[in-house]
Amino acid sequence: MTFEVRDVNGTAVVALTGDVDLQSSPTVRQRLLECLDKNKRLVVDLGAVSYIDSSGVASLVEAFQVSRKRSSYFALASVSPAAMRVLSLARLDKVFTIHADVTAATAAQG
Amino acid sequence: METGIVEYMTAPPALVAALPSQPPPLSAAEVKDHLSLIAEMMLVFSASNSFDAVAKSALERIAKYVGAEASSLFMLDDQGQAMVCTACFGPVDITGLRLAATSGIVGRAVQRQEAQIVRDVRNDADFGAVVDAKTGFTTKSILVAPLSVGRERLGAIEVINKIAGDGLFSADDLSLLHTLSRAAALAIRNLRLTEKLVEQERERHELELAAEIQRDLLPQPSAKEFPIHGINVPARAVSGDFYDIMPMPDGRIWFNIADVSGKGMNAALLMAKTSSLFRCLAKSAEHPGQLLNAINNELCETNSHGMFVTMVGGIFDPSTGIARLTNAGHEPPLLFNLTRESFLEIPADAPPLGIAAGIAGPEGFPVVDLDLKGGTLYVFTDGLTEATTFGGGMLGIDGVRALIRDHSEETLDLRIKNIAGAVKLPGKPLRDDLTLIIVEDNGVRTTETKPPAVVDLSVAAGVVLRLRVPARADRLKMVRQATEQASAYCGCGPEWTLDLVMAVDEACQNIIRHAYGGRDDAGDIVVDFVKEGDSLSVLLMDFAEPVDPSPIRSRDLNDVRPGGLGVHLIKSVTDDARFLPPPPGVGNLFKLTKRLAPKVN
Repeated sequence: MTFEVRDVNGTAVVALTGDVDLQSSPTVRQRLLECLDKNKRLVVDLGAVSYIDSSGVASLVEAFQVSRKRSSYFALASVSPAAMRVLSLARLDKVFTIHADVTAATAAQG
Repeated sequence: METGIVEYMTAPPALVAALPSQPPPLSAAEVKDHLSLIAEMMLVFSASNSFDAVAKSALERIAKYVGAEASSLFMLDDQGQAMVCTACFGPVDITGLRLAATSGIVGRAVQRQEAQIVRDVRNDADFGAVVDAKTGFTTKSILVAPLSVGRERLGAIEVINKIAGDGLFSADDLSLLHTLSRAAALAIRNLRLTEKLVEQERERHELELAAEIQRDLLPQPSAKEFPIHGINVPARAVSGDFYDIMPMPDGRIWFNIADVSGKGMNAALLMAKTSSLFRCLAKSAEHPGQLLNAINNELCETNSHGMFVTMVGGIFDPSTGIARLTNAGHEPPLLFNLTRESFLEIPADAPPLGIAAGIAGPEGFPVVDLDLKGGTLYVFTDGLTEATTFGGGMLGIDGVRALIRDHSEETLDLRIKNIAGAVKLPGKPLRDDLTLIIVEDNGVRTTETKPPAVVDLSVAAGVVLRLRVPARADRLKMVRQATEQASAYCGCGPEWTLDLVMAVDEACQNIIRHAYGGRDDAGDIVVDFVKEGDSLSVLLMDFAEPVDPSPIRSRDLNDVRPGGLGVHLIKSVTDDARFLPPPPGVGNLFKLTKRLAPKVN
């Protein structure tokens, strides 16, 4: 699993790759929360996520809740089929703001 | 009251003193006129159902009869602090005019309960010129009679500016006005009483309707053999308690009992809301901890004015005898074992609902799994424990236990009536709403637990792959890859494979996190992939402590049950997922089954 942060026009974009599982999700959780401490806008690119489990989803949920509390912007972008399967089974596809790609996600106001 | 009239009719001393000389005696014609007016007005007042409608014409008649320019009727408000002009006759309309109850000559008449005759207002210190200043009317002389019945002050009738004759109000004018005011006061009081009665009747009717709707919110009485029975005895017309019993298509039964803080109509309305939420949300909830958490969050979204709800919610499976319970700040339910005559209390481990939102984790409130083992669960509101006994004391929890023991041999439908009946003293209202539900396990197990496909650690027939890995997060990727290989071996496509991978991964996570408590190198996981007919079964075994077999198993020990997101995922993507009795040497055995869906080429 890799975790990369870049800035796109004032929005922090986190690109996750590989497997977000019990082993890597504590890191993902911590770093997502750090990003939210520094940024008012955060987009998580799930395009290269080959697998995400319930603990990975829980990290996203926690980041989502923190962003809501702070009125920050938080969105998911280009969600891979494997990740989308889990999000829809967890009925979270209706909860998260999901954009087709990073460009749309960073351009969106919210 | 009658003596009051007589006294005033014989000219009160204060009045006589206020007059410069005795008026000339009335002529026979004048007396006849007087009497006929009084008789006529009394008839009008007593026959009327709407005082306002006749007041205006009555004031006109009085003014004209006395020969005055204007007249008005002032009524005291409910607090007795102000007087309001409710009707008037004359050149200016002062209807709606509000004066302090002590203000002016009218105020003096009301406060002293004495008629007042003022022939020149300029000589009276109490005269308030404010009204004249506002209306442009000039008040010269005033005649006022208080309106009262017994000690009840209602207001006053005022007649202004005598224009007839010598332009001076006479004692006869005053006694006439006084007589009329007495009749008017009686009529007004009667009207008010009638209005109050009508209003009370309307309220009673509305309360009856509310009580009827509320009764309809309670479930129909259970059939005699049904394992859960409930009863609600309201202390007033409407109740703040409720219960519900809701059978599900899979044979399990949702039930709940709740007590809304406070009594009366507002508690009843919150009760209606909460019971609707229960019915609605139970249909999609996996367990009571999740359900009560959802109800709590919903209740918190709208302000309930400091009211809250205590609730025990549960789901009972008659085939296993297991009741899963969440107690949110409610009186502890009692589990009674008849053969051992023992009681077990299930205390509240969640706060009452409607106080703070979002206080539970993603799993919801804590859940207790209670194996009834042929016993009976009694869930009740404090209307039972706090009921008054024949001796006058409170029943208390010991009294409840004694009642349960005394009636334990009776059939369920009789028992619930008798227990509720025992605390309802004849002719005495209950102190509080009384609600009771009884969940009885008949001890008959309809589904036998299937013996595991693999009972020892030797590799059985049909095993596609066996894997033994240390229970560590960094080994999960290997388990997932092995699962992919097993799925590929069975000829299944990528979507089917992803779902199986997810289920196995989540099941392993639960072993690592819960069975082994998240400690590294705490033990191994053995995973068998077994092809059974048209299904692939995955048996996951660990060597941790077996699940505690005592009746109360805390939720944390066996998290791999409906509830968490991981468990939800497992259940969503497999056809069956359950714990099985583990073979010797194995801590826990969890089996997943998924029907094969071979890839179509």
